[in-house]
Amino acid sequence: MQLSGLKYGAALLDLIDFPHPEFLTGAATGGEIQRLLEKHGRLVVKPVFHSAVGKKGKAGLVRVVDNLPDALQAKRDLFFAEHVSGGRTERANGVTFEEFVESDVEVYFAITESTEQRKPVFTISPRGGVDIESLGPDDRRTEWIDPFIGLKSFDVTNALNDTGCPARYISPLVRHLPRLWSLYDGYGLSTIEINPLRLKRKGSGFEPVACDIKAALDQDNPAWRRTGLPSAVFQSDVTPFEAEINRLRTYQGQSDVLELNPAGDIMPFMFGGGANSAATESLGDRALFASDFGGNPPYEKMYEIARIAFKHHLEAANVLLIIGGKANNTDIYVTFRGVFDALRDHYAQHGWKPLYVVVGRGGPQLVRGMVYARDILDSLRLPYRMFGHDTSMILVLEYARRIADWWRREGRDVCIAGRKETA
Amino acid sequence: MRQLKTPPFDYFVGVESLADLVTRDSRVCVINILGGESRKVTPVSHAYSGGNVVAGVQYGREGALETPIGDIPVLPSVREVVKRGIAFDVGVIYLPPSAVSQAVSELVVYNHDLKRIIIVTEKVSQADSRNIRFLCQEAGVDVVGCNCLGVANVHDHVRIGGALGGDAPEETLRPGSVAIHSNSGNFTTTLAEYLRTEGFGVSTAVSSGKDVTIHFALPEFLRAAGNDPRTRAAALYVEPGGYYEKTALEMVERGDFPFAKPLVVCVTGRWKTGLGRSCGHAGALAGGGDNAEAKESWFDEYFGVPRFDPENPVVSDRGVRVESIQQVPAAMRAVYAHLGLEPDFVSEGDLSLKPWLGDGVCALPPELDLPMVRPPEPYAGRLGAVSRQVGAQFLRRNMRNASGASRLDPKTHVAELHGRRILDLAANGLEQNVYFSLAGIMPEPEDLPGMNLLLNLALELEPGEMDIVRAARGNGALPNAALAAMLAVRGDPRPVRAARGHIRAVIDMIRDFGIDESSVDLPDELDRRIEKELLVDQGPEPDAVTKFLRGEVLRAEKSCTALRICRRVLELADVGGRHVRDLRAFLTASLALCVLWRPMLRKRISRRVVEDSVAYFHAVGRIFACAAVDPDANDAWGRLTGPEPADLGVSFTVNAFRILFGRRPDEVELAEFQYLIGLTLTNGPGTISAKGAKESVSARNDISMAFVGFLANTGLAHGGNGFEAVDYLLGIFAGAETFDPGDPEHGLDLGAMAAAAARDYGEFRAREKASGTMRVKPVPCINHPVFKGRAVNVDPREDFVRGELADRGIANVFLDFYHLLVRELFEQGVTRNVFCVNVDAVLAAIALKLSWGGLADGSLTREKVRDQVFTLFLCGRAIGVSAEIADHRDRGTDMDCRTPQSELEFVL
Repeated sequence: MQLSGLKYGAALLDLIDFPHPEFLTGAATGGEIQRLLEKHGRLVVKPVFHSAVGKKGKAGLVRVVDNLPDALQAKRDLFFAEHVSGGRTERANGVTFEEFVESDVEVYFAITESTEQRKPVFTISPRGGVDIESLGPDDRRTEWIDPFIGLKSFDVTNALNDTGCPARYISPLVRHLPRLWSLYDGYGLSTIEINPLRLKRKGSGFEPVACDIKAALDQDNPAWRRTGLPSAVFQSDVTPFEAEINRLRTYQGQSDVLELNPAGDIMPFMFGGGANSAATESLGDRALFASDFGGNPPYEKMYEIARIAFKHHLEAANVLLIIGGKANNTDIYVTFRGVFDALRDHYAQHGWKPLYVVVGRGGPQLVRGMVYARDILDSLRLPYRMFGHDTSMILVLEYARRIADWWRREGRDVCIAGRKETA
Repeated sequence: MRQLKTPPFDYFVGVESLADLVTRDSRVCVINILGGESRKVTPVSHAYSGGNVVAGVQYGREGALETPIGDIPVLPSVREVVKRGIAFDVGVIYLPPSAVSQAVSELVVYNHDLKRIIIVTEKVSQADSRNIRFLCQEAGVDVVGCNCLGVANVHDHVRIGGALGGDAPEETLRPGSVAIHSNSGNFTTTLAEYLRTEGFGVSTAVSSGKDVTIHFALPEFLRAAGNDPRTRAAALYVEPGGYYEKTALEMVERGDFPFAKPLVVCVTGRWKTGLGRSCGHAGALAGGGDNAEAKESWFDEYFGVPRFDPENPVVSDRGVRVESIQQVPAAMRAVYAHLGLEPDFVSEGDLSLKPWLGDGVCALPPELDLPMVRPPEPYAGRLGAVSRQVGAQFLRRNMRNASGASRLDPKTHVAELHGRRILDLAANGLEQNVYFSLAGIMPEPEDLPGMNLLLNLALELEPGEMDIVRAARGNGALPNAALAAMLAVRGDPRPVRAARGHIRAVIDMIRDFGIDESSVDLPDELDRRIEKELLVDQGPEPDAVTKFLRGEVLRAEKSCTALRICRRVLELADVGGRHVRDLRAFLTASLALCVLWRPMLRKRISRRVVEDSVAYFHAVGRIFACAAVDPDANDAWGRLTGPEPADLGVSFTVNAFRILFGRRPDEVELAEFQYLIGLTLTNGPGTISAKGAKESVSARNDISMAFVGFLANTGLAHGGNGFEAVDYLLGIFAGAETFDPGDPEHGLDLGAMAAAAARDYGEFRAREKASGTMRVKPVPCINHPVFKGRAVNVDPREDFVRGELADRGIANVFLDFYHLLVRELFEQGVTRNVFCVNVDAVLAAIALKLSWGGLADGSLTREKVRDQVFTLFLCGRAIGVSAEIADHRDRGTDMDCRTPQSELEFVL
């Protein structure tokens, strides 16, 4: 669950009274934009992306304007801008018009979990506004944070001194930055990055202003709901299939899905995080979705998951694949009952369609589960092959792919003919 | 705050060697020991590990958890465990995620001897995880997890924390020289299983979990593996996200700790590069430099050789990276060979494609058409045993207030049976609904002749059965009581038992010989078994009914394995000049098997329901046969319930109508009759009629007594509205000229009648109120506890049926009157709004219409009409309650309808 930009990020900053530029969203009228221009002289126009994306400035997606026609032109240019970030192409959906904050320094600041130190850490640099990885070690500092104490002022002071931050900015930064730990720790964040943080003159001193923000929220931490952000903010990239399955999500997992290729032809029910990773890799774009239904889901949940999956994807599927290693705790009989009862009921409701079923699984109650599946598939006159844990999971995945290839060539017709012959 | 440090690490690590991570001497306390997962896993771990779980905590409870080697004491808190002097050094946590950090704190605070905590729980928040780490780092406690399956020290036969190796750990976890560290709990076991195929066993297996923070990660694992004399190599399964592997390899390269053992590593998850959210493991989400490709390069650089190629295996002293986990065994063998080491034992099996089960529908091309392979034991034995099972199987549970058969839609208050609204079922014939009630699906057209036969056969009464009913009625018993007495006396009669035995025998034969629709020839052994079990040398001359049934079985057009076997039985009897034992029961069984074979194969219904089906048909048929209010004046009753019942092949709906009304129905009457019966099938599992049946099942009665339970739980309160409505309508229409209630041109001024009735009721109510009556008797069948309060109220069930009848051009003057009445009551100010006409009014109106002719010609009295309304309700509900009985017998447990002591009240 990620967000970037002030449209929603400002709401996070407001929770801790952390200063940010005054801004308007793309829905603002010309009059409102004009008034903001008159108040601040210049505005920064940025596209709004739902997930956390960086390097917008480098990609030419940040415009500074000083008049309304330019502001409106920037809005037209950027409203649906596309941006490639981290290998993904993101499409904007809106813009913000933000107060331009005059400053002669840009600070980078972030808090995240370090898997090297296995502690929360903050990273700071007085040479921000750029990709932090592009800065040398002398220009940035990373320090760990004691979660029971929080961000310590002296750590910030030392880090800024070590990196050559002008002395006049250190005090305002040390006063404000520890609040970000309160935001991070108290509201279920797993990353927060302010870049750039500009120092705006205020009276005789300076006030740090967060001019851009990226944040990730830990969906396993209920504290994120206290941010007041609507969950829809994080669901923009969730497909209807994923959204329906997500409603079944509990702390026990068992219902993770990620739609991969709706034009694929293999519907994989993957059990276990390992199987999820290995199977998705093996199947490539043939897989309609990636899934992890491991964790011993109860019958009702497994039935519901399967029902939803069939509703959304069975029409496109040629092969139904049940794949997992040798389960430790997942009751194969219960999960197979859920899947194949749902399949039977789907066929009862929507009519027969040719489908090949490949099973590769091991674990408790395996034989009972397989026989249950066999009986239902026999009654539906659907073809199948079932493999136990004495067959490599990867070979089963390859076999499913080969079945899907054959199905495209002639298998489908053979299946229909076979059904007629045995009817 | 200063944290403990264990050089060369910058943090505390208490494990020097994998051999010490968990040992035979470890003593374990399991938190949330009675939770769903632990209750299943802990006893297996405890037994496998020689009884190392010394206590469990279940907050607020005290007791014991049974295991194969003795009970584990369960106490209400960690403090209590410590207070009682139960020493332990390992804590295992099975709690929901929000409670995990609290439990860690409790363990650390109360047990200063604690060395390890294993956290099985998934989806622990990152905030809690970092707090757990800091807490345990300060206390000098190692944590494994979260979201892991724990640790198995295979040499010492110890498994702690989770279900590594499943429910039979000794099957997968063979002692050996390879240590496993896996981000996937499943792959920890799967790797152990795979390694055996090349002759490698396991020293210690660690399921690390794959949250963002891995508490027992690769750096400390490698050091411990390096110090473990049992471990000669390690197999690693790695997913994207995190720099644990990079840190570990850099430490080895720097010589921070000695490690010279080879690694075989599988990194997966290239596809996750660029994902913005996790799917599967929460921590398997890469940032910039920790994706799968980066991790592959870390290892490739460390090994100094490219990825393992099974065709041309090149490995280094340090090991090799493989593409997928299936290559781990071969790569491990190559590494061992490279180092001049021998595997731990002789290879066990291989990982090639070995299908255990396949279909007969589709001919595969040769390259895909793999021969079926007999699974290894014990799976082959289980396959044989389980293959004998057929039909749906349900997990047993308390069904006191639950049903898998019926429900009441919470929004519409329309009852559903097997997911279908009774409004829709009401348009069906009775034989269809009896079938549906048991099978959960509608019969195919070719099933209907069989169903009609089975139900018509069940109308046949034994001598004296009706006498029980007559005696009960003569003593003032209500119809339900009289019917219950008859069924109670009847019990589970011999023909029913014989049919059940035949059904059981035929199913057994089909499953034992593996016969299905694709079987071309029947095995000779089947014939021998039929001759032995079902044929006898002597038998009575078949009566006319039996001959008729035999013809029907031979003529049936249905394609069905069961029917094929039944015909084979008859054929063998003919050929050998022998007799089928209890031939009529066998033929009845054949018909029942034939109609219910499909839903059983599709696992819609259990085998038990099929075996008992004749008992259900028997009970339903008898209730109809004995429900006739005036049998002696009913010629059809004698014919249809006689010793050789007539009209076996016609619709059961028609025969039932003839028994209840003494005449053959016309098309309109038949439709009305179907609605009447269909609408009363069920009103959900909470009705006392259903509860009566369920409670009887709960006491482990047979099916006839379950029907008695249903009948005993019905009474005047049930048909009350119906009785009162009939009484009320009779009062209103008593003075009317002769009319046909089904004729739209009935000639009555219904408007005036309704206006007068409304006026009368208004005056009656005013008088009653003036006299101080607290609750004035309402007009029956108007208003409803749910469908009220709007300006104009409608009971959607009544509205639906009325619409259906109207669509069929079926008029009913009584129902029309009711609708005029509610409008008049409102317009005359008697009611605040227009009350609804509820569904009971439909039942009363239809019942009265069907009986009107008898009333008019004097053949029926008012009392008999009232009885008829009640028995019609009983007949309809008997069909629906079959489903409830079958469901409770399948899913419920003995005595599950008891009310817990905590819910009971003593009142004064």
